[in-house]
Amino acid sequence: MPEIFEYSFMVRALLAGLLVAVTVPVLGSFLVARRYSLIADSLAHVSLAGVGAGLLLGFAPVLVAVPVTVVGALLLEWLRQRRGLSGEVSLAVLMSGGLALAVVLANLAQDGSVDFSSYLFGSITTTTPTDLIALGIAAAVTLAVVAWNYRAFLHIAFDEDSARISGYRVTLLNYTLAAMTAVMAVLSLRIVGGLLISALLVIPVVTASRFTRSFLQTIGVAIVCAMVAVLAGLAIAFYAGIAAGGAIVLSAIVLLIIAMIWKS
Amino acid sequence: MHAHKQLLVDVDNLTVHQGNETALNNVSVCIHAGEFIGIVGPNGAGKTTLLKAVLGLLPEYHGHITKQKATVSYIPQHGNLYSGLVPMSVMEVVKLGSAGSVAIALEALAAVGMVDAAAKRFLELSGGQRQRVAIAKALASQPDILILDEPTTGIDEHSQAEFYETLGGLQKKGITIIMVAHEVDTVLKHATRIIALNRELLYDGPPELFDAEKHIPNIFKARHEELHHGEHHA
Repeated sequence: MPEIFEYSFMVRALLAGLLVAVTVPVLGSFLVARRYSLIADSLAHVSLAGVGAGLLLGFAPVLVAVPVTVVGALLLEWLRQRRGLSGEVSLAVLMSGGLALAVVLANLAQDGSVDFSSYLFGSITTTTPTDLIALGIAAAVTLAVVAWNYRAFLHIAFDEDSARISGYRVTLLNYTLAAMTAVMAVLSLRIVGGLLISALLVIPVVTASRFTRSFLQTIGVAIVCAMVAVLAGLAIAFYAGIAAGGAIVLSAIVLLIIAMIWKS
Repeated sequence: MHAHKQLLVDVDNLTVHQGNETALNNVSVCIHAGEFIGIVGPNGAGKTTLLKAVLGLLPEYHGHITKQKATVSYIPQHGNLYSGLVPMSVMEVVKLGSAGSVAIALEALAAVGMVDAAAKRFLELSGGQRQRVAIAKALASQPDILILDEPTTGIDEHSQAEFYETLGGLQKKGITIIMVAHEVDTVLKHATRIIALNRELLYDGPPELFDAEKHIPNIFKARHEELHHGEHHA
């Protein structure tokens, strides 16, 4: 057995990474199709503010980050639907605001036992059995909700107005997608990190779309790309002793570059 | 004149405010089964707003809109068709209309002469072909009313002619067509009824009696300015 499987923390990290890799590109496909990738990035930054608040209050950071990020997601979606969201500017404010708040709260908490950078960039050693269970449940619920409403989500991605006219509950589904993205962003924090999670939402989808002819194919190929990137990244992080998120995202980018050269 | 035809939509004294502006003022329109209605008017005349009212997409308005139970399909402006970064196949797009049925989707693609493109990427197609796929998607939901918002803006003349022919065929099959159009001359040739708007109703009647310069004098001025300033229409 390779050395990498001899450590239980590493097995947990690999399992968690695979759960993230199977789920995140599914959400990513719908977000990228609608050009919302920046929203995922903003949510990840808001989730870091939730972690900071958790550290300061002395609660489990993820327990605080989940509701904070879900509220952030619902707020963003509400602003978008009211067209009160003037594009990039509001997102940029939310993004940097979330990170700034996260840093300030984490500094105020001054808990030496917690390495805040592991939330920023991911780590292979921090996944607890509880994290793994939470991730498993979230992944199962997310995939089930998307599978159940796949045609509706696809119709919304194609054209929101005609989806509404066809009788789909577009507003509810938009909030659901935002909330699921928020939960997955928070639960992916320990593996990929808040600064890098949006890369895993976007890059495998973009890589896959160079080869595919349909939406469903794209989701399938994107999941494979994300799995390869996560497994390669975690192995590199283990052997080289570097941050997991960095290694995973760089692996995903290498795949994208290979795809671009192949299909150029 | 429409007494023998079934009334599908009755818009009565519709007034819509958008911000401080009045988008539509006291507009009343009845739509009967089997009509091909062309809605014309200058930019910002409230044409799209009237469509949205019929579609039930307006959050706030004054007046009454009564609709018979009818299946409505909507085709957005050419520029608002899907342009996302994730590929969708033509088949996937049309199946959105057919509730997943491949047989109905193929039938709809055949009706617009696009069966051969079923496996292609939607974004591989030309503008005219995409618009035909959009019609196929709408047809696949087997609508009673087809609503189109400037469907041929930005499409070359040859494709426009094909497009109008397809629409004419649908109308003969009994589908009611309501369309906002920029190309007044072309619409006059195909529609059975013209509605001219400029925030209020300027004309409602047969195309033969419609005189653009008399009924919507602004439209030519507006189009002239548009051509010279390269402005986008809303």
